[in-house]
Amino acid sequence: MLAYLKFELRRMYREPRLIILTVAMPVILFLALGGSIKGDTPEKTKEILAYLMVAWAAYGALLGTFSSGVGVSHERSAGWLRQLRITPLPPATVVITKAIACSLVAIPAVLVVSVIGMARNVDFSVGQLALLVLLMWLGSVPFALVGLAVGFVLPPNLAQPASFLVSFGLAFAGGIFIQSDDMPKTMQQIVEWSPSYRFTQAGYAVLQHDTQSGTGWAIIAGWALVFAALAALAYRRSAAAK
Amino acid sequence: MTDALKLTGVTKDFGSVRAVDGIDLSIAPGETVALLGPNGAGKSTTINMLLGLIEPTAGTVEVFGTNPHKAVRAGRIGAMLQDAGFVPNATVRELVELARAIYPKPLPTGQILQTADLTDIAGRRLDKLSGGQAQRARFAFALAGNPDLLVLDEPTSAMDVASRQAFWATMRSYAEGGRTVLFATHYLAEADDFADRVIVVSGGRIIADGTGADIKKAVSGRTVSFDLEGAGTVGLDRLPGVTAVDIRGDRALLRCDDSDATVRALVTSGRAFGNLEVAGAGLEEAFLALTSATSEV
Repeated sequence: MLAYLKFELRRMYREPRLIILTVAMPVILFLALGGSIKGDTPEKTKEILAYLMVAWAAYGALLGTFSSGVGVSHERSAGWLRQLRITPLPPATVVITKAIACSLVAIPAVLVVSVIGMARNVDFSVGQLALLVLLMWLGSVPFALVGLAVGFVLPPNLAQPASFLVSFGLAFAGGIFIQSDDMPKTMQQIVEWSPSYRFTQAGYAVLQHDTQSGTGWAIIAGWALVFAALAALAYRRSAAAK
Repeated sequence: MTDALKLTGVTKDFGSVRAVDGIDLSIAPGETVALLGPNGAGKSTTINMLLGLIEPTAGTVEVFGTNPHKAVRAGRIGAMLQDAGFVPNATVRELVELARAIYPKPLPTGQILQTADLTDIAGRRLDKLSGGQAQRARFAFALAGNPDLLVLDEPTSAMDVASRQAFWATMRSYAEGGRTVLFATHYLAEADDFADRVIVVSGGRIIADGTGADIKKAVSGRTVSFDLEGAGTVGLDRLPGVTAVDIRGDRALLRCDDSDATVRALVTSGRAFGNLEVAGAGLEEAFLALTSATSEV
């Protein structure tokens, strides 16, 4: 398993474009919009900026992990998964290893956005930064898994529009485009069950010197399990068929 | 001794199409076996079943006395598939290292690279390989784990003549180590040159099973054909060397095992004939001959 992870990480390192795009997206949002944010008081401005920083970092992490998961679609159509399938490497190991590799894509996005945030006077310590990166990495595991599930099932030409739909849905539910407090009541109650909402909340809690509730992490873990099962099922079905 | 491979009454349907139609087959450890047949004969389907990639509709597949999944998991099978590709951004050496880490008792890296003739391009990216090089990399990946059974589906399809010969030389030395090798091909010459045993498949069934020499003999017949020019068909089947007579309109087609004798007798018989033609049997025709031969038995 470690050898496979090493193999995958080295490949990722040699194709940095995905990571660059993942980082660029939230950075551009931050630089373009961050300056024009004004609250009623300077305190309020900082608060809004802190929220947006987390939301954009979350967006980068979500998009990056999810789309690198969807990337397995190409490995499937190339016949590589089929090749792996006839080695002693167990399917679960393939899925878990890919999920770990894909989830790591979250780290640069969160790190870079946070550093820009720090430079823009969002109030948090280096310790909080480290915790934020750690939690947002762990929290993005479900997105990598759901990306893998999509990638295992759909051919590359269909995976793209499907992934747009899924990532948009996740980002919306996560309160990244519209803060969930501004959503209608029913909608709020629904999004509270989503992994992406709990994901942004986990990040935001760090800035408030708080920890997300156990319920929040339980929901993230629950989704991770559901998506892992889906991805494993999709792999079993698809790797053999080509 | 446990068979390396044992198929019992194996059938595979894809919807209403029967790709494999009742195959019974045992292969002993150490045998080098060719699965010979035209495209669509059911070779790849059979191979996919014995690798556990697809399940048979009926019948059982055993590899070293267990099911294919367990044999694959135990690292006893290495396979080179027709349509298996690689991922970009990794080198040949990294691919080999990965395979070595996955299998329980791999060969040394140097030996793998050398056997597959990849030593000089070990540092090259997989996405930058030529067709023949990629095929060799596939071979390296298949043999890296030192599997007891090596399965190769049309291994030389992307190779030119020179690399094809080099490939088979390598294969032969690998098989001499006592491993079982099963390869699919549609070249009779390849099957004859490199396999101890040739199994001919057509229409999802085994239609012949023997040494290369047996199979060649079975397909070595020729067809002598000519226009009858009103001479009638009486006595054609009694001409020397004729094994079968087929009349199509005004033309006679004689299947012969000794066409020289047939032609000589035809000329000296004084009967009228026109547009005489002697043709060797192509592989397809040979397969048809074999099919009808088995159905007559």
